[in-house]
Amino acid sequence: MTAPANTKNIRFKIKRQDGPGKASYWQTFDVPYKPNLNVISCLQYIAEHPVTVAGEKSTPVVWDCNCLEEVCGACTMVINGKVRQSCSALLDELLKETPGGMVTLEPMTKFPVVRDLWVDRSRMFNALKTIQAWVPIDGTHDLGEGPKESAENQDVRYSLSRCMTCGCCLEACPQFLLGNQFIGAQAISQARYFNLHGTGKVLADQRLDAMMGPGGITDCGNAQNCVKVCPKEIPLTESIAAIGRQATVHAVKRFFNGPPRK
Amino acid sequence: MSADASPNAQAPQPSLLAQNHFLLRRLHSLSGIVPIGVFLIFHLFTNFQMLVGNFQHEVEFIHNMPALIYIEILGLWLPIGFHAVLGIAYTLGSNPNSIQYPYMDNWRYTLQRVTGILAFLFIFVHGAKLRWGFTFGGYLDTPFYLHGPHGEPLATASTAIALQHAFPWVLVGYVVGVYACVYHWANGLWTAAISWGLTLSVAAQRRWGVFCVGLGLALAVFSAGAIYKAATYPVADQQREMIRLMEAGRTLPAAPHDKVLELPLPAEEAHEAAP
Ligand code: SF4
Ligand code: SF4
Ligand code: FES
Repeated sequence: MTAPANTKNIRFKIKRQDGPGKASYWQTFDVPYKPNLNVISCLQYIAEHPVTVAGEKSTPVVWDCNCLEEVCGACTMVINGKVRQSCSALLDELLKETPGGMVTLEPMTKFPVVRDLWVDRSRMFNALKTIQAWVPIDGTHDLGEGPKESAENQDVRYSLSRCMTCGCCLEACPQFLLGNQFIGAQAISQARYFNLHGTGKVLADQRLDAMMGPGGITDCGNAQNCVKVCPKEIPLTESIAAIGRQATVHAVKRFFNGPPRK
Repeated sequence: MSADASPNAQAPQPSLLAQNHFLLRRLHSLSGIVPIGVFLIFHLFTNFQMLVGNFQHEVEFIHNMPALIYIEILGLWLPIGFHAVLGIAYTLGSNPNSIQYPYMDNWRYTLQRVTGILAFLFIFVHGAKLRWGFTFGGYLDTPFYLHGPHGEPLATASTAIALQHAFPWVLVGYVVGVYACVYHWANGLWTAAISWGLTLSVAAQRRWGVFCVGLGLALAVFSAGAIYKAATYPVADQQREMIRLMEAGRTLPAAPHDKVLELPLPAEEAHEAAP
């Protein structure tokens, strides 16, 4: 359909929640159409004019954002039923999906809501700690040059490095639930990323141990939604297979070699 | 969608289950492939013999295998029970969302869980009825006998009686159950290759997918042939009567075995006849 005329309003149906643990409720707002709007600019308009369609005075809708160019992941929310970044969700595109002209905004459902569209994604950062998603180079002496990197390895690692911890892959995953233990595609892919690093791989065994407990790699059900919704086009299902292979080999080694010496 | 569920659910004390989480998950995968899946291939291929080969001979061969009961318990019932209990527990811990994210792979995922439950129900009823002789209060009165008291071949006839019983409900049950098994196994084989780390790249996953689809289709064709044959097999009155009498636990009228159905059997097979 063609973009609505200038005078037209875009209706936003927004799922709101006043604080953690509070009941959620819906409110609708109208935002005057302009070309090249994105969801965040509409939320800014609503913050300035917090009046519902019914004419009730409300409060500004709260959301999280930072970079405004789809590199930080903070502004992720469920837009028209699909998880994505609100900064890069362009209204001209969204209106094509919803010929009725209504845009629905909801907070992600797999993370606890802080307020309205703002959720607490700390589970993802805790997962990165669990798998030691870093290169251990802290020390008192000079470690010298880092190891050489092949072009092939660099290619793969570059694709994995693009993760912005946005949570799309977890929101769309049928195995990742609010309150369960599954570590999810993001951390699995980061474990692969750091296990591929010349220096980072010294922690590979610990990462795999962490990956093999409850909520680890085996809890993936291979629905492959993660790879389809990842805005950074990270080859998540290949990472899942790669960590699956590393875990298989690791388990066989553990079986024959016994646990590591303390 | 309340936020009161704790984001960092308290990790339980590492129970025996938790300590062996990886092993259990991998055994769950393996048990589906090796004993159960391989048996499924043999079973469906054997059934297909109804249409093109000597079904009676195949079935007699299987039933005369040495230590059959141990093979059944260790190779079938235990793995199936293990696979089913864990599978149901895992399914209860998932949240299928194929409506919201209707990707083909996501439907495949949801269907894997649905067919797993259907297959389990089917296998249970199938085994209970035909192997352990449950009658389910007479609702599924479908006796299964390999042969009559004098070795008269009854494998195809009793399969046909089973399938044609309470037409079309048993038939529908078979079709749903068998195809659930076929899908569950072929798709499980595909995903297992990812879980174990055999198919690393998307291209490798696609190639393996072609193989799994081919295998699934072959099994589907075998099953279709067997079901068609059993559903259309004209059961002779004598066969029906013999099965009815055996079911009633009555002895058959004394008759030379080669006259009963005019289907003579070699003497060495006849003496192994069921009591
Ligand atoms: S493959 Fe499916 S189950 Fe596994 S992490 Fe991705 S979305 Fe979740
Ligand atoms: S893997 Fe992709 S979808 Fe998942 S957190 Fe990283 S960028 Fe987001
Ligand atoms: S604000 Fe950073 S991704 Fe949208």
